[in-house]
Amino acid sequence: MKPFDIVIVGGGGAGLYAAMEAMKTNPGLNIAVLSKIYPNRSHTSAAQGGANASLANKAKDDTVEMHIFDTIKGSDYLADQDAVEVLCSEAPKIIRELENMGTPWSRMEDNTIAQRPFGGAGRPRCCYCADKTGHTILQTLYEQCLRKGVIFFNEYFALDLSVDGSRSRGLIAMNIKTGRIEAFPAKTVIFATGGYAKMYWNRSSNAAGNTGDGQAIAYRAGIPLKDMEFVQFHPTGLRKSGLLVTEGARGEGGYLVNALGERFMSRYAPEKMELGPRDLVSRSLETEILEGRGFDSPAGKYLHLDLRHLGADLIKSRLPQIREMCMYFEGVDPIDEPIPVRPTAHYSMGGIDTDNFGRTVMEGVYAAGECGCVSVHGANRLGGNSLLDILVFGRIAGRAAAEEAGKFNPAPISESEVLEKEQELRSFMQPSGHYERYGSLREELGQTLGLNVGIYREASKIRKGIEDLVALKERFSHVRVFDSSDVYNTNLLQVLELRNMLDLAETVAAGALVREESRGSHTRTDFPTRDDANWHKHTTYTLEEGRPKLGYKPVVMGRYELQERTY
Amino acid sequence: MSDSTIQHHEDSRDVTFRVHRFNPQVDSKPYFDDYTIRLEKGITVLRALNYIKEHVDASLTFRAFCQAGICGSCAMRINNMSKLACTTQVWDELEKSREPDIIKVEPLRNLPLIKDLVVEMDPLVDKMKSYSNWVDSKMSEENWGKKEFLVSEAEFLKYDKATDCILCASCVSECTILRANREYVSPAVLLKSYRMNVDSRDSIHEQRLAGLVKDHGVWDCTHCYRCQESCVKHIPIMDAIHGIREDAIAERGTKDTSGARHAEAFMEDIEKKGKLVEATLPIRTNGVVWTMKNLLPMAFKMVLKRRTPPPPPLVKSTKDIEKFRAEFKEMTGHVAKDHAKKPGE
Amino acid sequence: MKRYAYYQSCINESMTREVDRSIELWQHDLGIEMVKLHESTCCGGSNLDYVSPKHFALVNARNIAAAEKMGLDLVVSCNTCLMTIRSAKKKLDESEELRSEVNEILKSEGLEYRGTSDVRHLLWVLIDDVGLDVISQKVKAPLARLRIAPFYGCHILRPSSVLGKDNPMEPTSLDLLLGALGGKTIPYDHKNRCCGFHTLLVAEEESLNVAAEALQEAMDEKADCIVTPCPLCHTVLDGYQAKALKRSGRRGSIPVYHLSEVVGLALGYTDRQLGIRRHIVT
Repeated sequence: MKPFDIVIVGGGGAGLYAAMEAMKTNPGLNIAVLSKIYPNRSHTSAAQGGANASLANKAKDDTVEMHIFDTIKGSDYLADQDAVEVLCSEAPKIIRELENMGTPWSRMEDNTIAQRPFGGAGRPRCCYCADKTGHTILQTLYEQCLRKGVIFFNEYFALDLSVDGSRSRGLIAMNIKTGRIEAFPAKTVIFATGGYAKMYWNRSSNAAGNTGDGQAIAYRAGIPLKDMEFVQFHPTGLRKSGLLVTEGARGEGGYLVNALGERFMSRYAPEKMELGPRDLVSRSLETEILEGRGFDSPAGKYLHLDLRHLGADLIKSRLPQIREMCMYFEGVDPIDEPIPVRPTAHYSMGGIDTDNFGRTVMEGVYAAGECGCVSVHGANRLGGNSLLDILVFGRIAGRAAAEEAGKFNPAPISESEVLEKEQELRSFMQPSGHYERYGSLREELGQTLGLNVGIYREASKIRKGIEDLVALKERFSHVRVFDSSDVYNTNLLQVLELRNMLDLAETVAAGALVREESRGSHTRTDFPTRDDANWHKHTTYTLEEGRPKLGYKPVVMGRYELQERTY
Repeated sequence: MSDSTIQHHEDSRDVTFRVHRFNPQVDSKPYFDDYTIRLEKGITVLRALNYIKEHVDASLTFRAFCQAGICGSCAMRINNMSKLACTTQVWDELEKSREPDIIKVEPLRNLPLIKDLVVEMDPLVDKMKSYSNWVDSKMSEENWGKKEFLVSEAEFLKYDKATDCILCASCVSECTILRANREYVSPAVLLKSYRMNVDSRDSIHEQRLAGLVKDHGVWDCTHCYRCQESCVKHIPIMDAIHGIREDAIAERGTKDTSGARHAEAFMEDIEKKGKLVEATLPIRTNGVVWTMKNLLPMAFKMVLKRRTPPPPPLVKSTKDIEKFRAEFKEMTGHVAKDHAKKPGE
Repeated sequence: MKRYAYYQSCINESMTREVDRSIELWQHDLGIEMVKLHESTCCGGSNLDYVSPKHFALVNARNIAAAEKMGLDLVVSCNTCLMTIRSAKKKLDESEELRSEVNEILKSEGLEYRGTSDVRHLLWVLIDDVGLDVISQKVKAPLARLRIAPFYGCHILRPSSVLGKDNPMEPTSLDLLLGALGGKTIPYDHKNRCCGFHTLLVAEEESLNVAAEALQEAMDEKADCIVTPCPLCHTVLDGYQAKALKRSGRRGSIPVYHLSEVVGLALGYTDRQLGIRRHIVT
């Protein structure tokens, strides 16, 4: 089989942009996009709020510089400043590019792309399409990929890289519809599989499939991960389901209110109030709840996000999806009642360690989007920068891979390697004496992470979490797949996803324990302040003898010196 | 889902899910399995299915991803109606059940079955491709990213609702014509085509429209409105279909296709007689040859039963047809004036 | 005697004349009177709307204005006319600009669209105005021995934003009326489905497949007859029945009655009086 020039794993914003850009760079290339779901279902569609770019359509004095500064400050100075510069200076171009290819942006009165304020941003620079920005961007990119004739392998589950020394030979994947294990020999592979925050399960806003598949594959192949301890908790998840009420609701003027009727953000961010950065707002909610100023319910303690003063018209026209969601999943109409909310795991800042071109340490392997870690978000991501990240770095990785693809010719993937995978999967179905059920393992994984490696962390709890994870991994070796069929075996998929989450959870916990400071989303109650002298550095994790081995990398600085982060 | 959230106190009851099963490796034809579980009020159908998969039968197969109503994966037929399992409350469905406490769950229709509740989505993607469901930008790719097109809020509102579509295929499953012929373009693809056609940034409007008026295209829609009523995003899909037809007549004239000729006949008859001249409608729509071939055999029976529509001279005109005709003409004048006012629209 | 302006649907003036004939027979028995609107015109079907939206509004503003002039609600016994005229009414009621434009023109005939008359289906009048109790009291020949497959047709149900009377996918009104006439209705999937009429001349093959499926399901469920409140559905299910069933290779036949005919039968009129013998399938 002739090798593909590029195999892209994941069909969300980053993967699709990479595919499109690669075809633009060299239309003659043989490019395949593998996705475990139909690409238009990807989690990019759940990003409601928008994407930041200093177009200066709304605030005429906005600049790329200000965007850079806001991002670096927001990251608690852990972002690499050269990468942030790439992100922010490419932003206006990429938003216009999306506009040029048909993304339906909301518009200003002068017919330019509309922008609105967003948490942690000094100017209103978040470009949006009502409250379906990610959805419309994803649709547009999918449409453009269809237009350009990108070859899709839909409903293929990536299993592992095939490695030849320091280089990848390509990928081994399962065709979900047939159960067949197939080799995808490839000159280059781009991972764009999204985040890993679903490991928090019930306390996560993520889709069921955001299980960090690409990160886990890379990790197993010896590629280092970076900054995994940084998991962002979104302040306003719905009380029952963890589903997200976008920051757009606060951007439009929603209030956060405690059981005493106070707009409590005045205590934590008197100037920005509800529009403070995410980590700060999340911690503020958690503190209000811990200090007893939350509301009580059988489904747990919570606070109110009150939109009622905005009026029915504005809620209906600007926030229709949020309203529908509150009604479907929480039984609350925000026009008449405040929305019950609490923090929910939302975004993973960490990921596969890459340079500014999306390259990993393994030749021919790239990563982009939430799956990768360049790093532009550092210890905390600003709202409106995640869509931007997947677009900018998806495109860069696509172009870089297209340029590299001509230069190598990998050795073929051997038949025996494919057979080995087949047997490995079959072993999950072979009944042995004692077995474990996937559901309870996954449940316990989410529970221990939420309790021990959640918003507030401390050494003793994290240690308990690590013990739990080791025990869970042991139990996982007895997990059983009950569905024995080849065709569309979702039971098997769930087990494989759980394996990926377990591998990654260990790195999250290991990083949380070793980082003895509080920075961005990582809050240690036993080390409550930022410690630049010892911890102004990235953590990295390499798999050695089944456990994560920690390493460190310096943060790339630039014109912005370390400052205390206040809002 | 943990047991504690499922087995909560008071408002709970036993609910049976009668689920469509089919494993192509084992089964020669589909069958139903009943799963009875105790559920608490406030649970969605998807959460119930997840519970069954995790605690009762791990082989039960369905798609689900975001579980939040935005990705469109979990569309299925629940009590005979296509919808998203993740946004459907079990208690609401119990009220609609034909048999008490039994909720019937089946795969979408009009798409090939893969397993249990999973259907093949490729035919829909293929149609999106063949009807160019993308904006083919007026700007060449080399120039992308340099400057914005200026687009009015009014234009944005034309395609705003249509871009809500999450391609869940509920409309595809409920479509009358697709059920009669799977070659048919499909409501979702018509909706997307409309959305592209009203976008001023697009350059292939004419080409797309030419594809849409062909066989199995926009004129085959039978106006049953099932797509619109089943749309999980409440998109007025029929408005989009009418929009394409309006556009087709404006751009391609009324002699273009049998559909357009059929529509034009109404205008003609109303102006002339006030009433529809049904006897000649087939000829005006499809010509003499088609009419002779397709309708003549039936016409004999109709004549015997005196059911044939009267020939044109015998169609009773509306009372005061002259006055009405003058009004009709006056409106024609208004319409012409409108077109002169808004060039290019 | 409650009076209504009665809209004369084109098809009831030509192919399905039995509809108006039956209503005339029994209307006074139920204390209602349908006053025919001779000056009305064709509603434009579901076609005029996209040939010329303005003409569509004018034509139906005029039809409704004629009823308003008489101070009566407009009653329709064809589903598509009902949906069409109601959607024009909705557009007119929502746009003052459109109203004044058509009224400017209607002035010459001394007509004005004000939005005061409702547009209703005969079925709705029977249920809401006459009442199911009264109807069942007047029944002389209950339809007791019949297993009836009710076939609602689309345009009395959908779009629900325009019709809004019945659940668009789980309707009950026709079942209730047939129940009051002493009939037994059967549940079946096609009761809220499409007959295929509107594509008969454009995509005949598809239309006949649609009709055949409906007919077959009713026959499979051992229904004695189909009853529909729409003359267009009747035309397909009765007039094209043989052709549709032949295509699908199904033997046999099933009679299809108009709503107005079964009301007449239950009130004691004969099939000859009601025009039932004019049907193709008897």
